Amino acid sequence: MTGDEKFLPEGVPAWQQPFWESLREHNIKVQRCTACGAFRHVPKEICAKCYSTSFSFEPVSGRGVVYTYTIVHRAPTPAYQAGAPYAIVHAAMDEDFRMVGTMIGIDPDEVEIGAPVRVVYTELSPEWTIVEFEPATEANGLVDNARGN
Amino acid sequence: MVRKLREAAVAGVYQTKQGDLSDRTSVDVWFECAKGACDDAGIPLGAIDGLIMDGPEGVGIRSMLPAAALGYDLLGKPMRFHASSSVGASAAASGVNLAVYAVSMGLADAVVIVNAVAGSPEGFSSANRDEAIAAMAKLSGPYEYVYGTTRVSDYAVLARRHMYEYGTTSEQLAEVAVAQRYGATMHPLSCNGHRGEITLDEVVASRMIADPLHLLDCCAINQGGGAVVVTSADAVRDSKKHRPIGLLGYGEGHSHIDPNSAPSLAFFDAAQLAADTAFTHAGVARDDIDVAGLGDHFTINVLFGIEASGFCKPGEGGPFVENGALKLGGRLPTNTAGGFLSFSHAGACGIFTLIEIIEQLRGTAGARQVADARLGYLSGSGGAMQNNFSAILGEV
Repeated sequence: MTGDEKFLPEGVPAWQQPFWESLREHNIKVQRCTACGAFRHVPKEICAKCYSTSFSFEPVSGRGVVYTYTIVHRAPTPAYQAGAPYAIVHAAMDEDFRMVGTMIGIDPDEVEIGAPVRVVYTELSPEWTIVEFEPATEANGLVDNARGN
Repeated sequence: MVRKLREAAVAGVYQTKQGDLSDRTSVDVWFECAKGACDDAGIPLGAIDGLIMDGPEGVGIRSMLPAAALGYDLLGKPMRFHASSSVGASAAASGVNLAVYAVSMGLADAVVIVNAVAGSPEGFSSANRDEAIAAMAKLSGPYEYVYGTTRVSDYAVLARRHMYEYGTTSEQLAEVAVAQRYGATMHPLSCNGHRGEITLDEVVASRMIADPLHLLDCCAINQGGGAVVVTSADAVRDSKKHRPIGLLGYGEGHSHIDPNSAPSLAFFDAAQLAADTAFTHAGVARDDIDVAGLGDHFTINVLFGIEASGFCKPGEGGPFVENGALKLGGRLPTNTAGGFLSFSHAGACGIFTLIEIIEQLRGTAGARQVADARLGYLSGSGGAMQNNFSAILGEV
């Protein structure tokens, strides 16, 4: 392992690709159970609430609040270490699912549980765009997501 | 289910000096440990007729059929039983349940569990720290590792949520590391005992790895070996070498792979399920437990273990561990040999925690002995609290 590059997703099955395609299009879609309507992430083969195997990928608000976080000081490879320390958050999204991502646009020490966040898109390579989080503020019109966590 | 014929008990245990075994092969260490456990039991190596988990390392089909490899090839006779547990680094310890099953049902007479990490393995068992950390980071899958998550950060997010919900402090987490290092200073085979005792201040002042976990909240990467052999309780009694220590209760709780699926990242109901099954099975109370061995990849794990096991209420693990409660003489002596943090974090390291409980219940733990230890509690997890087991041990 050279550590020169960040990790790109490997082994993502075809049925999960609509999520990644939506990130490339900067219009996040998350897996949703066709039977009971529950959103779930990361994509899974069956709905753990109603056991339906039918699903689609549907647009979501991209808004949530920080459920928990860490600030990574010792990164897995030199490519990540170059950006350390960085905050990784688990966000509780408005549509009642959680999602992991890096927090950008804020000093890592300023990250707080309960703080509103919204998704942003970052291109890792021509093939892969990932979703990260940034603070949701009055300026970007996204302060109405005070959902309890 | 086969009919139960007899009680089973741990007949022998053995462990190597923990630390750096890179100048040896894992097969050499495997046989040293298996032979050592048989010697401790007073039986010959050739008495082994059952295997839990891995046999001596091999390639090709030998790696896929470990008990077959141990049969005519290495021990000159067929093996009668093989099974594997899958509770991650706790698998060798939780495997004692399978060994007890095999012996008590009469499927085998002497079942061995060996954990041997030595030589120059690649990937997440590598002795090269950078290689191991990078390999472990990718265990979580692409929806996490693209962000630069690590095994430490996987636990740090749990610790942070526990702090948020319950007010747990870094000093409380440090109590775990301090108590366990104290135990390790009294165990000559431990990795870190020679480094001497540490203080709460030293833990909290150690370098941050993934906030809120400091260097001394985390396990190192090391090598080592250990083995346990299980026979009938009658055979242990007849040998007059040791008290027959067996399983009084056992349970598992398999929770999640995706942390987004877990109902909570501050309390793990699957670990509680494992503990409740074990305590119900054993018919003993939490207050009856004299000594504990709790999985401790990171200090926060011990708080999760204490809470899920019902030694206190959810969220009260922080206050529970204060003032040296986990040390010898404390309210719940835990990981008295040092645990993963200070004894050994090699491979399926739960086996070392199991061995310490056996030594405590035999009354042979020397300077680390918990007075009148009759009942031991053992639990551990695989992954980041992703699956769990609990066991209650005592004389059978």
